[in-house]
Amino acid sequence: MSSLKLTDVHKTYGKLEVIKGVNLEIQSKEFVVFVGPSGCGKSTLLRMIAGLEHITSGDLEIGGVRMNDVDPSKRGIAMVFQSYALYPHMTVRENMGFALRFAGVAKDQIAKQVNEAARILALEPLLDRLPKQLSGGQRQRVAIGRAIVRNPEVFLFDEPLSNLDAELRVHMRIEIARLHKELQTTIIYVTHDQVEAMTLADTIVVLRDGIIEQVGKPLDLYDNPANLFVAGFIGSPKMNFMAGVVTASGHGAVTVELTNQGKAQVILPLSGPAPAVGAEVTVGVRPEHFQPAGSGGSEITVGIDVAEHLGSTSYIYANTKSGEQIIIEREESRHELGTDTITVAIDPARTFLFSAKGERLR
Amino acid sequence: MAQARLDRKEQITGWVFIAPALVLLGLFMIYPIVWSLWMSFQVGKGMNLSFGGFANILRLTKDAVFLRALGNTFTFFIFQVPIMIVLALLFAVALNDSTLKFRGFFRTAIFLPCATSLIAYSTVFKSMFAIDGVVNQTLMELHLISAPISWLGDPFWAKVLIIMAITWRWTGYNMIFYLAALQNIDRSIYEAARIDGVPAWARFRYLTIPMLKPVILFTTVISTIGTLQLFDEVYNFSAGTGGPSDSTLTLSLYIYNLTFKFMPSFGYSATVSWVIVVLVGILSFLQFMVARDRRTS
Repeated sequence: MSSLKLTDVHKTYGKLEVIKGVNLEIQSKEFVVFVGPSGCGKSTLLRMIAGLEHITSGDLEIGGVRMNDVDPSKRGIAMVFQSYALYPHMTVRENMGFALRFAGVAKDQIAKQVNEAARILALEPLLDRLPKQLSGGQRQRVAIGRAIVRNPEVFLFDEPLSNLDAELRVHMRIEIARLHKELQTTIIYVTHDQVEAMTLADTIVVLRDGIIEQVGKPLDLYDNPANLFVAGFIGSPKMNFMAGVVTASGHGAVTVELTNQGKAQVILPLSGPAPAVGAEVTVGVRPEHFQPAGSGGSEITVGIDVAEHLGSTSYIYANTKSGEQIIIEREESRHELGTDTITVAIDPARTFLFSAKGERLR
Repeated sequence: MAQARLDRKEQITGWVFIAPALVLLGLFMIYPIVWSLWMSFQVGKGMNLSFGGFANILRLTKDAVFLRALGNTFTFFIFQVPIMIVLALLFAVALNDSTLKFRGFFRTAIFLPCATSLIAYSTVFKSMFAIDGVVNQTLMELHLISAPISWLGDPFWAKVLIIMAITWRWTGYNMIFYLAALQNIDRSIYEAARIDGVPAWARFRYLTIPMLKPVILFTTVISTIGTLQLFDEVYNFSAGTGGPSDSTLTLSLYIYNLTFKFMPSFGYSATVSWVIVVLVGILSFLQFMVARDRRTS
């Protein structure tokens, strides 16, 4: 169980810089998820920690020891790949025990460790099968088992659930969470799926274009996104963004006119510096935070395009003439069935304000 | 009823489509094969043939030249095929390394020999390996040998030269199969092994080779067939004699000589041809047995 520290880490391929100075501290036993859109550098960062990619500049410490130039096998890590990377010609047992053969572990000890990992992952009935005789979820469990037998300080997961179908993904997500509880190791997990990030992580690291946008607990990121990108990335369905212009400013509040929403006026509390009158801003409201009409606050009326009724929840997809799409979530609400428009209220306490540059204004 | 008629019509259409190919195949493949088998039981010279039963097979066992050719062919097979397969595998692994510079150039250079003209390369080889050729001169200057080697005149070195020549010509060809197979292996398998602390030699021995096994088997069988049919190089290097003193005579060259050089003995040369067929069959079967997956999967 080791802590991990990245100090001003950069990665360049020729002239292309993909990791642009990452500083991060990961505590021992912490479950950290790197999340971000494809191409944000999250997998590269993980591969740099693993030692599969060279660190162009900066320092990587695992357990307080600088690891930049240490061989991947000596960093105390184990990695689970998206493609599982199982050895196709070896049985499950051989796959899990293969690495130990070269670590000078005695045969009976290998058998013991493999059996123990198989027990944890319920792989015992499959030990003599080849990878091609296993389902996707079973293969992923073998890949995890292969990591467990090495008893690593840090587990690295590179999009481990991306090749599984939706149902299995949910199942394996729970398995991995259970495993973390049982093994009590440091886990770094890469995914592009914010649901995985929210459900698994102790700490989420949101990456974009090779830089960290925000680090925090899942609900902190949800409640308090640092900028427009994180606000849009965390939460499902996505937060609604409405263009606005500041019409009045001062004394702990701003008034914003929503340009594309019938010029509705929203008064938002603000503790920090207020933007000038006339400044262009973005107002963010999560689909689940729209209030029913008449519950106070300013209201907007939008035309319903499509309504998805999932039973307990309904999602209403609405468009304004300007092309701004609004998604509204309603619980146990069926009264919109058959109507063309819907009016909702904006709760200022659950509304986010962003500057034209995308920074959060609080 | 209608369905049956439709099925029948489809059947006929299908056969009509493949009929031209079948006729050609029958005429130029199956008929000669069957005819040569029939021929192999004929004795006599030229067109003066008569059925001789197993006389030709009996003659094989007493024919010193045939046994010599058989021995030579086996020598080529036993030394050349393993050397070439191992070389091709090593080249393929080396040239699959994405950090290697000028990979494209090396790949082309190693593959090129099998695309060059046989006569051109034989001529160049003959001149290079002549007594006063560039190879002897270089070896002498490096003080590796004290007197020039008679590559074409000495029975031992003549064999060595043939082995070098066909290895040079066909290694690149086999390498391409390995390269293609290597590129199909998921890179993360090797990355997983690296993280797991599996040393480079073990990654080659326990991961690469088993994963390439089907391709290795394929190239081995193809190379075996090629070597058992070896003709071009020995014909060119020895001006058709298989010399010096039959030391490079192969079964194929012997068949050629029996048919076209000596008083034609069509029946007997057909028998020798069928010896190659039987050998290829046996060797391929053995190779499949060796490479068979022992796991009952």
